[in-house]
Amino acid sequence: MTYPGTYSERRPGHPQPRAGARPPAPPPLPVAPRRGPGVRRTLTTLFLTGLVASVLPWWLDTPAGSLTGTTAMTTAAGQITGLLAGYLLLVQVLMMSRLPVLERAVGGERIARWHRDLGATLLVAVLAHTALILVGYAGLEGRSPLGQAGVMLREYQDMVSAFAAAGLLVLVGLTSVRTIRRALPYELWHATHLAGYAVLLLGFAHQFSNGSQLFRPGPVRTGWIAGYLLVIAALAWGRLIAPLVFNLRHRLRVADVVAESPDTVSIYLTGRRLDRLEMLGGQFFRWRFLARGCWWQSHPFSVSAAANGRWLRLTVKMVGAYTRDLRDLDPGVRVWAVGPSGTFTAAHRTRERALLIAGGSGITPLRAMLEELPPGAALIYRARTPVDVLLHRELDWLAQARGVRVWYVVGSRRDPGPRQVMTPDGLRRLVPDLTRRDVYLCGPPGLVEQCRQLLRHSGVPRRQIHLATFEL
Amino acid sequence: MRRALVAITGLAASTTALVVLKAAPGTSQVAQDVPAGQPPAATGAAEDEETSPDATAAPATGKPKATKSARPQGSASATPSRTASGGATRTPSAPRTTTAAPQPTARTVTGPVVSNEFGNVQVQITVSGSRIVNAVALELPEKTAQSVQRSGEVDSRYSGTGGMVVARQGADLDTVSGATATSRSYQQSLQAAIDRARG
Ligand SMILES: Cc1cc2nc3c(=O)[nH]c(=O)nc-3n(C[C@H](O)[C@H](O)[C@H](O)COP(=O)(O)OP(=O)(O)OC[C@H]3O[C@@H](n4cnc5c(N)ncnc54)[C@H](O)[C@@H]3O)c2cc1C
Repeated sequence: MTYPGTYSERRPGHPQPRAGARPPAPPPLPVAPRRGPGVRRTLTTLFLTGLVASVLPWWLDTPAGSLTGTTAMTTAAGQITGLLAGYLLLVQVLMMSRLPVLERAVGGERIARWHRDLGATLLVAVLAHTALILVGYAGLEGRSPLGQAGVMLREYQDMVSAFAAAGLLVLVGLTSVRTIRRALPYELWHATHLAGYAVLLLGFAHQFSNGSQLFRPGPVRTGWIAGYLLVIAALAWGRLIAPLVFNLRHRLRVADVVAESPDTVSIYLTGRRLDRLEMLGGQFFRWRFLARGCWWQSHPFSVSAAANGRWLRLTVKMVGAYTRDLRDLDPGVRVWAVGPSGTFTAAHRTRERALLIAGGSGITPLRAMLEELPPGAALIYRARTPVDVLLHRELDWLAQARGVRVWYVVGSRRDPGPRQVMTPDGLRRLVPDLTRRDVYLCGPPGLVEQCRQLLRHSGVPRRQIHLATFEL
Repeated sequence: MRRALVAITGLAASTTALVVLKAAPGTSQVAQDVPAGQPPAATGAAEDEETSPDATAAPATGKPKATKSARPQGSASATPSRTASGGATRTPSAPRTTTAAPQPTARTVTGPVVSNEFGNVQVQITVSGSRIVNAVALELPEKTAQSVQRSGEVDSRYSGTGGMVVARQGADLDTVSGATATSRSYQQSLQAAIDRARG
């Protein structure tokens, strides 16, 4: 099947693999055992339970019918939003703790999405809490809300730091609005975002000195403090201890840097006990290359080959100053890795067969995943020009070894070839059993979103669509 | 982003729902709830007349200040006893009164419960002859940590054998800054108790 402007490459003599055909290779092919969404569901349930538990003290403390008048109701709403905000803040920090169970069962990218959505909610909750309490207390004490703010700052305990925490949270929230975030350099945005920890610290005291449900010693107060301790323990574990153990055990180093295309390099890493490295194709690590100019930044890259016990590889497209520097890494440079992370893996499939759609450098996780998928997968690889097709020799080799059908769809989006493929009919013509497959999408956000809609239109159930957009 | 909107809507809806549920009238339980939470001494205050201080055998009420259900909101309307009560009562087991006991003329007089937006205030004084020798706050607003702090300030300034009440021998006290409402209520309850003692 050839489209104009498309080149479809197969090795000569390669037997045409049919869907469902038995793989020809005699040794049994390694296939990743499935991991269900069980852990994720448990975590979601825990989150919701915690949400209820956080307002329960207020509920039990407030006799029915006791809220008469707007002032009392405003104050009560302020207390509820305060409790919720306190809880959400803890969850927000917990999600960023890099706790291995979270990273592997939920995945870095999904955590980032949840963190963004919950962050918006937290911001609204904190603003509502501040406004409602100010108006409520002002009503009680017969002042203007602004006057009340002054009184609280001057006379209430720990309120200066609490207001500072709210201000910082607004700053963190605003800089994370998509359009603003895009305009900022990543490092600046990231540094600003670290103020989130200061929010945790500054907002801590006022909950206990002024919180109606928390100022009295008792199980509620103890539980609330336990929540903080839990989050701090998770941070210590996920950010410090687990990475330390991992890196001391494996001691990764750069072995070689190989050009794959004019703007892409593969970095090979070696280390110790790599046969004991538990990682799945499609997962990523956060890498820190301990070389001059690089060591202070950590960037996420997927592994571009499945675990093989001997080496690791990442394939990096040069898009910015940092990735351009990676081209000049010397062999022997030490590497600090945090991970693995992600559920974009063969283990998270829901069906026996898969369709993979890659755009440009989005091929890297899919390439690794191909080694662990059951035979009979299909791959559509979108690239702008023939040189942008990465790792194609390996892909062809995998196609043969694992019975994978591969289509290279090359050209700009407006070219007839890509336009023809990227329609429900075009997809169905290539992959007739589309709706009975898991579909893994990885590439630039635009392409991923376009494909996602396309797949939904073609009738692929949502739970069978797996996305990776290289965004955290 | 869509999920964020859903979450924010959920936040607003559930907060509103919780508040509305607790505001729902008709649960008559509340009406009983608030008076029940008042210290027994306060209820007794309405009926009992002056009693000699050695009637300390009366059920010890302890320090009723600690009543948990003192609620600033809503109690203003839910407490009908706002002006009703007033009068003397049996001596609670406050140790200070026991030391005053040898004087045969010492008696305790309890002021009415005065409600403000933060909670209830009730003052009890010990009078020896025509002198106020002690003042005790039976109840002060304690709903929030802030109230506790302010109530504490008012209490420590006014109450006790060495407090401002004893020093000034009257209800004309300096208002504690930051605790105007509680100071006023204290003075009202105190004034009523003094009137009662003299009357
Ligand atoms: C889960 C995941 C897997 C990835 N896998 C690969 C891969 O296999 N191969 C590949 O070429 N690229 C991959 N990327 C993308 C890669 O991380 C970015 O291209 C790289 O960080 C850009 O850095 P830069 O400073 O050179 O470019 P810049 O021009 O400075 O940044 C380009 C964009 O990359 C993102 N970015 C920059 N720095 C960071 C950082 N420290 N952490 C997170 N995001 C950052 C930002 O969104 C930024 O807008 C992956 C990204 C994610 C999130």
